[in-house]
Amino acid sequence: MAIRKDANTLTSAERAEFVAAIQALKAEGIYDQFVLRHANASMGDIHRCSAFLPWHRRFIFDLELELQRVSGNPNLGIPYWNWPSGGANASMWNDDLLGGNGDAGGVVRTGPFRAGQWTVINSSGLPAGPLMREFGQNGLPTLPTQAEINQVMAIMPYDVPPWNMNSNPSFRNQLEGWIGPNLHNRGHVWVGGSMLPMTSPNDPVFFMNHCMVDKIWHEWQLRFPNQGYLPANGGPFGQNLTDPMGSTPSGQIGARPIDVLDSTALGIVYDGIAPQPQPQPLLIVVGANPTQADISTPGETDVFRFDIPTFGPHTMFTTGPSDTFMTLFGPNDPNVEVTSDDDAGENFNSQITRNLSAGTYYLRIRLYTPNSTGNYAVGVRSDGTGPSPIPELIVDGVSINAAISAANESDVYRFNITTENIYTIETSGTTDTFMTLHGPNSQIPEIDRNDDGVALNARIRRQLSPGEYFARVRHYSPIGTGSYSIRVSQG
Amino acid sequence: MAHHKETFEGCTIEIKDDVDLSINGKEIDYNHDEAKNKFSSKYLPYTQYDSLLELAREIAKHTVEFSHVKD
Repeated sequence: MAIRKDANTLTSAERAEFVAAIQALKAEGIYDQFVLRHANASMGDIHRCSAFLPWHRRFIFDLELELQRVSGNPNLGIPYWNWPSGGANASMWNDDLLGGNGDAGGVVRTGPFRAGQWTVINSSGLPAGPLMREFGQNGLPTLPTQAEINQVMAIMPYDVPPWNMNSNPSFRNQLEGWIGPNLHNRGHVWVGGSMLPMTSPNDPVFFMNHCMVDKIWHEWQLRFPNQGYLPANGGPFGQNLTDPMGSTPSGQIGARPIDVLDSTALGIVYDGIAPQPQPQPLLIVVGANPTQADISTPGETDVFRFDIPTFGPHTMFTTGPSDTFMTLFGPNDPNVEVTSDDDAGENFNSQITRNLSAGTYYLRIRLYTPNSTGNYAVGVRSDGTGPSPIPELIVDGVSINAAISAANESDVYRFNITTENIYTIETSGTTDTFMTLHGPNSQIPEIDRNDDGVALNARIRRQLSPGEYFARVRHYSPIGTGSYSIRVSQG
Repeated sequence: MAHHKETFEGCTIEIKDDVDLSINGKEIDYNHDEAKNKFSSKYLPYTQYDSLLELAREIAKHTVEFSHVKD
């Protein structure tokens, strides 16, 4: 477990331990390997992109493991640079931790990383002189305030297209510093000198700066547990939730954003973060009167959940004077996007009508214009009449011909098993289908899944006991469409 | 400024045809955000600059590949 503390609150012993561990890694050459990993990463892989936060979370986590190894202290955590109280006169810049500002020429001449004691390297790994700092001399004379941090903490969602420095509204982009009050970038630019280029990990304050960034992301995740990492898919390669991130070696934990989303699971503890209750999305009752709501802060996204007991057509809608944008997630996973809509409802209201299988769904509603506010009402109604419209497959009967006709669409089929045996459920055709199998007697428990059982078709073959089962078919690609056939056979 | 050449912080900065930037003879890739008319480079990943020459000078000053050893 790594216990990460405000750098200005460290005891003398904790300061000495951290400095000694950094110096030990430098002597081993390990520290410089971290400098090179950052310096030689592609710009678009780690900065000005969605993976900025998970990439650096993994990066400082890896250094922390090395610090723990050389110190022999499994609880040693990287201190965080608490910007509001971390100005030039803060104790973190004292000679027993980081040392202070550079001299008139920018050369750091105090503290453990002073000239003669600490040599920076260039991106080729060659010695390139002393550590340089020039506090507040590069156009950004002040550090972020708590009010500015609070402002960024209120931004949702995590990120939006085009997933770069122009993304807005975007918590990631505000925290990185390309829009809004500028937090992370300001830490680099305020220190200046060695903190300006891609070799910025040459200055150990780099890791404290990113520890602060990571702490803010962690707090934001606690505050908005339903705001998942984005893009889940459809973004540039290396940026999606399950893509391997660039310049990230194999290690104790995985190299994908999804592998580092939960700080607690990584054993990271931040001091000063009080346990926070996990707010649940407001529940919408299907068929009830619309729920009144409002977007009171620009960029805000409201999250609602509703439960669908059985498969059938449903309509999710807003009413009121605001220009709403609605995104549907589920079933049973608040981070799996089904579809979205802008103006299918009355006036500028959003509305989604589609078949939904049983499960819990989530609606995220924001205003189309990110910097506006307004009220609205949201509701869900069932459009189904009569018996369940789920198409039934007959074992050893004829195939059903169908199609995935829209992005994120999935089709559900049911079939009855009367005799325990081995059965095969398979699709055919040229569409790259993906199938999950659920049951018995419920659409919710998933018991099997398959992508390319035969060529691009999905195929599940397994022992089934008597009961009703459900097969859900979608295109492998969330944006893919195409026709297919499906059948169930014994054996 | 169709063609500009200067020595800054001991580095030779050359900008040809207002667009081709080199420092000490090395071509420098950069991005020009035309909407904001801002310049940025992978060499200095945390900020943008108002002109190509300003970006070049900051790279020459701060990037250890180009800046002289100070001590």
